[in-house]
Amino acid sequence: MTQFETEVLVIGGGSTGAGVAWDSALRGLHVTLVDRGDLATGTTGRFHGLLHSGGRYVVKDPSSARECARENLILRRVAADCIEDTGGLFLTTPLDDPAYADRFLQGCRDADIPAEEIPVAAALRQEPRLNPRISRAFTVPDASVDAWKTVWACVRGAAALGARVLPYHSVVRLVVEAGAVQGAVLRDHQTGAEVTIHAQCTVNASGAWSGHVAQLAGCEVGVVPGKGIMVAMNHRIVNTVVNRCTMPGDGDIIVPIRTVCVIGTTDVPVTDPDAIEATPAEVASMMEAGEALVPGFSQSRALRVWAGARPLLPKSSPGGDVKDTRDVTRSHSVLDHAERDGVGNFVTITGGKFTTFRLMAEDAVNLVGRKLGRELECRTATEPLPDSESQHYYWIGARQAEMEADAADDPLICECELVSRRDLQVAVARRPGAQLDDLRRALRVGMGPCQGGFCAFRVAALLHQDGHFDRTAANQSLRSFVEERWKGVKPISWGDQARQIRLDEWIFQGVLDLEHVPE
Amino acid sequence: MSHDVIVIGAGMAGMAAGVRLAQAGLDVLVLASGQGGIPLAPGVIDVLGYAPQRVGNPIAEMGGFVDLHPDHPYAKVSLADLAAAVDWFKEVTAPLAYSGSLQANQLMPTALGALRPTALVPETMRAGNLAAGGDLLIVGFTGYRDFYPSLVAENLAAASLDGAGSIQARAVEVGIAGDPRALRPQLLARSLEVQAVRASLGRAIRAELAHERAVGVPAVLGLEHSHEVWSDLEDLVGLPVFEIPTLPPSQPGLRLMAVLTRALRRSGGRLQMGTTVAGATASNGRVEAVVVDQASRQMALEAGHFVLASGGIGTGGVAIPPGGQLRESIFGLPLAGAPPDGQPRYADHYFSPQPLDRVGLMVDAHLRPLGPGGAPAYSNLHAAGAALFGATPWREKSGDGISLATGFRAAAVILEGAG
Repeated sequence: MTQFETEVLVIGGGSTGAGVAWDSALRGLHVTLVDRGDLATGTTGRFHGLLHSGGRYVVKDPSSARECARENLILRRVAADCIEDTGGLFLTTPLDDPAYADRFLQGCRDADIPAEEIPVAAALRQEPRLNPRISRAFTVPDASVDAWKTVWACVRGAAALGARVLPYHSVVRLVVEAGAVQGAVLRDHQTGAEVTIHAQCTVNASGAWSGHVAQLAGCEVGVVPGKGIMVAMNHRIVNTVVNRCTMPGDGDIIVPIRTVCVIGTTDVPVTDPDAIEATPAEVASMMEAGEALVPGFSQSRALRVWAGARPLLPKSSPGGDVKDTRDVTRSHSVLDHAERDGVGNFVTITGGKFTTFRLMAEDAVNLVGRKLGRELECRTATEPLPDSESQHYYWIGARQAEMEADAADDPLICECELVSRRDLQVAVARRPGAQLDDLRRALRVGMGPCQGGFCAFRVAALLHQDGHFDRTAANQSLRSFVEERWKGVKPISWGDQARQIRLDEWIFQGVLDLEHVPE
Repeated sequence: MSHDVIVIGAGMAGMAAGVRLAQAGLDVLVLASGQGGIPLAPGVIDVLGYAPQRVGNPIAEMGGFVDLHPDHPYAKVSLADLAAAVDWFKEVTAPLAYSGSLQANQLMPTALGALRPTALVPETMRAGNLAAGGDLLIVGFTGYRDFYPSLVAENLAAASLDGAGSIQARAVEVGIAGDPRALRPQLLARSLEVQAVRASLGRAIRAELAHERAVGVPAVLGLEHSHEVWSDLEDLVGLPVFEIPTLPPSQPGLRLMAVLTRALRRSGGRLQMGTTVAGATASNGRVEAVVVDQASRQMALEAGHFVLASGGIGTGGVAIPPGGQLRESIFGLPLAGAPPDGQPRYADHYFSPQPLDRVGLMVDAHLRPLGPGGAPAYSNLHAAGAALFGATPWREKSGDGISLATGFRAAAVILEGAG
């Protein structure tokens, strides 16, 4: 049985956990980060991809708006490589109360968000697909952000400073002795072995699962998972983040991210963050909602649907009944379980948004530092993440430029996302145990219009050829890939997407006959 | 301008009907909204591969299969029709020398190394029938990203032939002349039409041989001169060589389409690609014309008979509007097999049978699609291929056979004047 020591054990490898690992490592703490799956496969891997300017919250949740505004500026400095500076627009459509716009503008001023009114004609020139009947338009510094890039940058930075990162390790139990959490026993999914970690302080950063993890130490955290669905469309219908200028509602934001754009979202309280699926009615309502901002939106080709569960912590008593999760604040909470529950060395950091993950981590690590008697300064607001040192934003043409400069002997494996053979080999070298789905997140293979129809086979076979998969692992990874992809495409199987699905069936079943590869 | 027959769709069904009718001396126009579906497929003729167990003898199993599935397209054609269609196909595609029979499926390797039962294969694949086992060298080309010999070899070697033999397979990669970044299948296929490139490849393969008795390569053995490329390579290597089909565009599929197109044109028929049929006009129970979208207007094309070979969901022959009812997109014909409103259209798991798998047109004994009342919608409209209700071609491995048999039969019905 493996066991080792660490100063800080972080449970949960989403943006919050990764941020805590990075912050702790920068402060000289020894930190171990664990996640039951691949990193960023919880809420972080399923959110909208939006780096908020804060404009969305200026009327409804002004303190959250101010936090977003400050963190937006900080992340642009330290995580530029993860961010595409699309800019944002808030637009009053015929469905929106015209009076809201003035409250919005005032709210932005109060929160120090540089919102500017521009002529509607200018907005329409910038984004020709917008509803010509828009009456007012405002620019804001919204941007789109790559969650996996951000999380992996934090984790690489932490690892370079000595942090240990353990994806595919579930917490079997927390070790609670003498009124304090002493560490955790984990199961390694890839080997089945148990690993015991002795930690001086344990941070529960498991987001929508924080309630479950807190229970393992006998503590009660009333996190309410708020389900939200997203629909990715097959191209960038807009190149700017566009928002309805109205109180936050469903389907009122479209975010351009990489080669697609994403509309979202909904907000429905659920009990189990692992049992979330988009219903046909929800999908239909997203397509309809897009029409207000972009006429004809509902006729565009949708690529994939998914659902995520926000970790919402109502400020009312934990376990209270929450009917409308839209009313729960988006600010975060740091819970000291020694104070709340008499359980020492245990902290939960929950609530919040991706945009404020760095601040969440700072607040959490401040508390951890106090508990360890090692109060050191937070440097994450000024220290750039790995690959963001140049402070150049990501731009969508970067891959094309790199490809053209590359040597001639590096074939493209995924044409939709411009992923080459060498990119794949580099990604696998960084993650020796990577599954096909892990590589999908790392490289975006299979996230473009073909959704892996052509490239999934190439990737699985290449990984087998290079010795990373044996025969059965290669076969199984391809089967899992198509099963996983199926969940995301069947809710939107109409029009051209239905045709793409049939083409993919011809390839996987007709040409390759994946179903009949030997066990 | 009026034709004897207009065929809508240039997949296997449309081309089979079109060529057959043109050979009989009729004035035939075949319309394709794209380039036709044959270049997407491996270039073999599947008749019946799984029912749901693996089928060894399609003719022997067909009676029982049709009894179980009385609405299947194979129930609309006789065994004699099927046999005649297969014989006719071999004749029309003589330059590609298809071989095989309805009595014994061949087991062909896929680019994943699965074994796929099929009835007819072109000469370039003949030596790849592994029904009795084999001792193979599987060759990939450096930089060609649609074929990975090691996975093919390992999966083939693990295959079960139910005691009929065993497969030994070994993988190698050889370099092939040309810019590695430009190794697209069509460029590869054309480059192998150059003798010097073939000679170099043949030498490289020969140098790798040990005890193997046949050599498998990706399906890029030429485009217009596949016979020459394949037979020359066999001579150079000194062993039987066979192609393994992989991701589209399929070179064997392109060759097949080229041969069928030449056969159509030689008989005076015409093929018009890039022409989408948007609708039709009819009167007195007969279709008068189909309406096609041209650059700036629509045009009506008249004919005495029409064959609807427009395919199913994959080709847009059956359209699925968002949140709306499925429709047959040209005539609005009633569709069988669509789940009622509110019922799920897709099952939870990818490999499960799907509610929409078999959706298509119900037809009478003369392959005329039925209208809402159950009688043929139009006296001069016939349907063939994937447009028909009742099959799951990619699971059954039956698509080409259905298309060939029903296309051939639709032509026969029109020629008999019984339609």
